[in-house]
Amino acid sequence: MSDKPVAVLALFPSAQALMDAVPKVREKNLGTLQAYTPYPVHGLDKALGLKPSPLGIMVFAMGALGATLALLFEWWTSASDYPVRIGGKAFFSWQAFVPVMFEVTVLFAAFTAGLGMITLMNRLPWFGHPVLHTNAIKAITRDGFALAVEAVKGELDVEAATAALEEAGGAEVEVVFPCTEKIPPGPTLQVFKILAVAAGCAVAGITMYFAIKLFPVLPPMADMEEQVKAIPYESSACFEDGMAMRPPVDGTVARGMLPMGPVTEEASGSVLVNPLAATTEVLAEGRERYEALCIACHGPLGNGKMSLSKEYKATPANFHGATVKAYADGRLYYAISKGKNAMAAYAVDLTPEERWAVVHYIRALQRSQDAPEEDLP
Amino acid sequence: MADNEALRDLLPPPLVEGDVTPGLLDDQVLETPEQKPPKAWFLAFFVTSGMFLIGAALIGYTFATGVGVWGNNSPVFWGFPIVNFVFWVGIGHAGTLISAILFLFRKRWRNAIARFAEAMTLFALMCAAIFPLIHVGRPWFAFWLFPYPNERALWVNFRSPLLWDVFAVNTYFAVSALFWFLGMVPDLASMRERTKSKFRKLLYTIGSLGWRGSANDWKHFEMAYLLLAGLATGLVLSVHSVVSFDFAVSLVPGWHMTIFPPYFVTGAIFAGFAMVVLVLVPVRKIMGFSHLITDHHLDVMNKVILAMACLMGYSYFMEGYTAWYSQNPYIHHIFTKYVTGTYGWAGILTLTCNVLIPQLLWFPKLRKSIPVMIFVALSVTVGMWFERFVIFLVSLHQDFLPSSWGLYIPTSVDVGILLGSFGLFFTLVLLFARMLPVISTTEVKMDLKGAQPHHGEEAHE
Repeated sequence: MSDKPVAVLALFPSAQALMDAVPKVREKNLGTLQAYTPYPVHGLDKALGLKPSPLGIMVFAMGALGATLALLFEWWTSASDYPVRIGGKAFFSWQAFVPVMFEVTVLFAAFTAGLGMITLMNRLPWFGHPVLHTNAIKAITRDGFALAVEAVKGELDVEAATAALEEAGGAEVEVVFPCTEKIPPGPTLQVFKILAVAAGCAVAGITMYFAIKLFPVLPPMADMEEQVKAIPYESSACFEDGMAMRPPVDGTVARGMLPMGPVTEEASGSVLVNPLAATTEVLAEGRERYEALCIACHGPLGNGKMSLSKEYKATPANFHGATVKAYADGRLYYAISKGKNAMAAYAVDLTPEERWAVVHYIRALQRSQDAPEEDLP
Repeated sequence: MADNEALRDLLPPPLVEGDVTPGLLDDQVLETPEQKPPKAWFLAFFVTSGMFLIGAALIGYTFATGVGVWGNNSPVFWGFPIVNFVFWVGIGHAGTLISAILFLFRKRWRNAIARFAEAMTLFALMCAAIFPLIHVGRPWFAFWLFPYPNERALWVNFRSPLLWDVFAVNTYFAVSALFWFLGMVPDLASMRERTKSKFRKLLYTIGSLGWRGSANDWKHFEMAYLLLAGLATGLVLSVHSVVSFDFAVSLVPGWHMTIFPPYFVTGAIFAGFAMVVLVLVPVRKIMGFSHLITDHHLDVMNKVILAMACLMGYSYFMEGYTAWYSQNPYIHHIFTKYVTGTYGWAGILTLTCNVLIPQLLWFPKLRKSIPVMIFVALSVTVGMWFERFVIFLVSLHQDFLPSSWGLYIPTSVDVGILLGSFGLFFTLVLLFARMLPVISTTEVKMDLKGAQPHHGEEAHE
């Protein structure tokens, strides 16, 4: 196979001579005609009977695709996936999407034109074409004009082609053989190209890895990250205790954290008055807090019976007993705030308002287990 | 006989002077990369790369210390970086105009200068890209500007002109680079065949992608080139329009004007052509290309500069008219501050350099004088830089609220980084001039006398 000639090629001194030769050789019908020139010669494609380039349609299609994809993407990100109201405009304010749409259209179309011409139309890069390894290629890329009669299905009448080219005025006739040294086109070449790209990526990746390893990225602009100010739990030479954090001034009352004041447990029932009305919202909040913190020991019904209570061998208060029923709201509040018997103080976990809400909920629980007949609907 | 001579004067001057054949063209243009550069080249390279290193060191200093080393401060947060960015993006526009728009208009004189101008587009865009990158403060997070799926589940704001800018400038760079490279493939194929060095042969072989110049290849190549030119035409008009939206879409007095997009595009082409003249005049002299880039080329480019200068004058006038007609005291104020007040000198310098000095080019004798065109090109470069300085700073330093007015004073770091960008630009120009075909030999060969069958004779008889 490799010994069979693939083409016969002759050089012509000018574009005019080439143009004159084309019809003369073409009418002999010896094989596919191809011309090689240093620059585009006008009218040559018609003389050789080449079909017009389909690039225009491809570029139009890809440009339209780019426009559609860009607009869809802008719609999806701005109006569907994460809509953010900006400048009071509609989520899908398409007028503002036009510039990016235009740029993406041009990008798609231009790369289709450029890369499509190179890879799809001209099948480049390919370094194994037989003509690249002829003596004529030097002239072809400089000022020579070559006409080649190429084999059809591996068949070529070399003598007839040589005669036809010489008759038409061609000089330096050359028989072209397929290139044996280089990798022939086909799957092997594709694998070779992919391997070359992979090797390039690997080298780039390894270089980058070591570059980052050897030259660790220092935090730039460190003076913005480390500022001259005290942050919580930092040490400070300014104060005697060596801490940057300052305790509040004595007697400071945090907003919404009014202390209970000096009240004894006995007096609490009459001194502390529930400031909240037993509305649906307050009861709902009380229930929510009760179920979060109290239910584990006092049980869902407030009777002090819960699976856990057995394990602890503790006896949490039964809110339905006579003692607790007799307590005023203030005394329940006191117990929640300060703790009672084995129960810890819940002042840390519940704001005063939440504690009062829980008190209301306990009252509701008490009534639920001992409802008078008129409560029934 | 006399009639014939009169007619000859009316014909367009030849694109190349003297007897240029395709072979001689290759011997001259493609031989440069094969030879050792002269001493002057090394000297120039030393100077420009030194300038670049100063800029790079100052950028390093900025990130070690913080952007506080620049003059940017309230109320002028956009100082030198934005001025330099718009200046450099503008310089790039001439390249695409020459390679794409003049190609579509079949102005064949562009063939000799298109490659160089395209390369300048790429280099100018590289310089431009520096400034938004450093201006964001943390350039290593610049990829946040692209819409990619991230752990914050956030997308970029497609309604922001600054984001349009990201898309416009990146697309522009990618398409320009593609256009430039594809045009160079056949030239690289010629260089592959003539070089004697094995190493360069390998480089050119890879670069030329195995180009063999078959009629079929050329058919697709020409179609792709035409399509790319058409697309790049739309692109070049859009890019500086989008850059101008950064300003025009805001409500800042002096920026909120509908004339901004055409005004910016005009200014970009103006500054770009001046830079092309500035670079090509020494290049054609030193490299001996005066018969390829002829006096006629420079004359035509100077005419473009003159036309653009008049359009700039019209734009300035139109800005003033809009300010007056708006009946808006804030716009009145800003417009008067262009030529009076702290930065008034910059406005007057702009008008002088951009509108008055280029009027010299009305005279054919001055258009052909090298010193005059260098002087005009320099003045346009200076003027266009100061034009952006005036537009951006005057509007920012005194806007609606007098209590928040303030001055902007650039620091030496600002100036040093600007110097560095010029260093980068000219370093890349110097490297390009010695390493790659600076004139598109294929495109020049195409239009030499007798290059096309039947074509040449008819046109010249």
